Amino acid sequence: MMAGTDRNETGLETFFESARATAPGPSGDLMARVLADAEAVQAARVKAPARRGPRVRFAQLREAIGGWPAMAGLVSAGLAGLWLGVSPPAALNDLPLAGFGAGESALVGMLPGVELDLLALEEG
Amino acid sequence: MKMPFDAMDDVPDEALLTLFANGDGTAARALTLRMTPRVMAHAYRLLGDRDEAEDVAQEAMMRLWRIAPEWRQGEAKVTTWLYRVVANLCTDRLRRRRGVDLDAVPEPEDDAPGAEQGLLQQARADALQMALGLLPERQRQAVVLRHIEGLSNPEIAEIMEIGVEAVESLTARGKRALSDALASRRAELGFDDGWD
Repeated sequence: MMAGTDRNETGLETFFESARATAPGPSGDLMARVLADAEAVQAARVKAPARRGPRVRFAQLREAIGGWPAMAGLVSAGLAGLWLGVSPPAALNDLPLAGFGAGESALVGMLPGVELDLLALEEG
Repeated sequence: MKMPFDAMDDVPDEALLTLFANGDGTAARALTLRMTPRVMAHAYRLLGDRDEAEDVAQEAMMRLWRIAPEWRQGEAKVTTWLYRVVANLCTDRLRRRRGVDLDAVPEPEDDAPGAEQGLLQQARADALQMALGLLPERQRQAVVLRHIEGLSNPEIAEIMEIGVEAVESLTARGKRALSDALASRRAELGFDDGWD
């Protein structure tokens, strides 16, 4: 039994050697097709990055400040600041600004052109 | 950076793939020459049909080109990945064939008796190919990878995504079946030493 198994191993190995020695090689046409595919994929990739540049930069900025939650907080804070500027609540007028100079001049300092125009209209 | 073509011989497959992804044309040629013959031979041994094997080889190489930018160094060998892709593509084709054309198993050439050594060798390879075609797919894949491609059992286990013991079992059963299939042809294939 053992001798038979050894002979089987030896016999099969002869077949395997024959298979290795006669490996079917790729045709020249296949090699040309594979290389053409490679070059086409490379060429397509060279063109692609230009469109993606700005998106990548925005993504990097977003990640740098902490992702979408941080972006939402930033936008909310910006809008709140804008609203306070456009329509300041009455309570802001009661703030003790005397320490920074005259109350009126402090506001004039923020929007000098507008304040002067309003004064001119009142006096005029 | 462009490298001279012959300087690519010592560059590992994975590094060549990175160069390819960076647009290096020399790396594309080096990978084509290095990988296509292996891919082609493996596909032929699993399918037994040269034209189909060439189609599979081209498709497997195309998948390699496309995955190149996402290739993560150190995770897998290029050859392991390619053998797996080839096996999957061959399995798809064999499933489409199954039950439809049993004639797809190539017939051996009958000019072996008394032929020259080269023809005898070709006849043995053809006979083996026919016998391989009779094996279940997983046995065939394991036997081809182990005994023709010369891979180790752990490498085959990784390619086939099974354990090493399962690989050993598949190759053992596959070889027994091959011996049985080839036994009746030993005389015409030049075996006169009582191999059985």
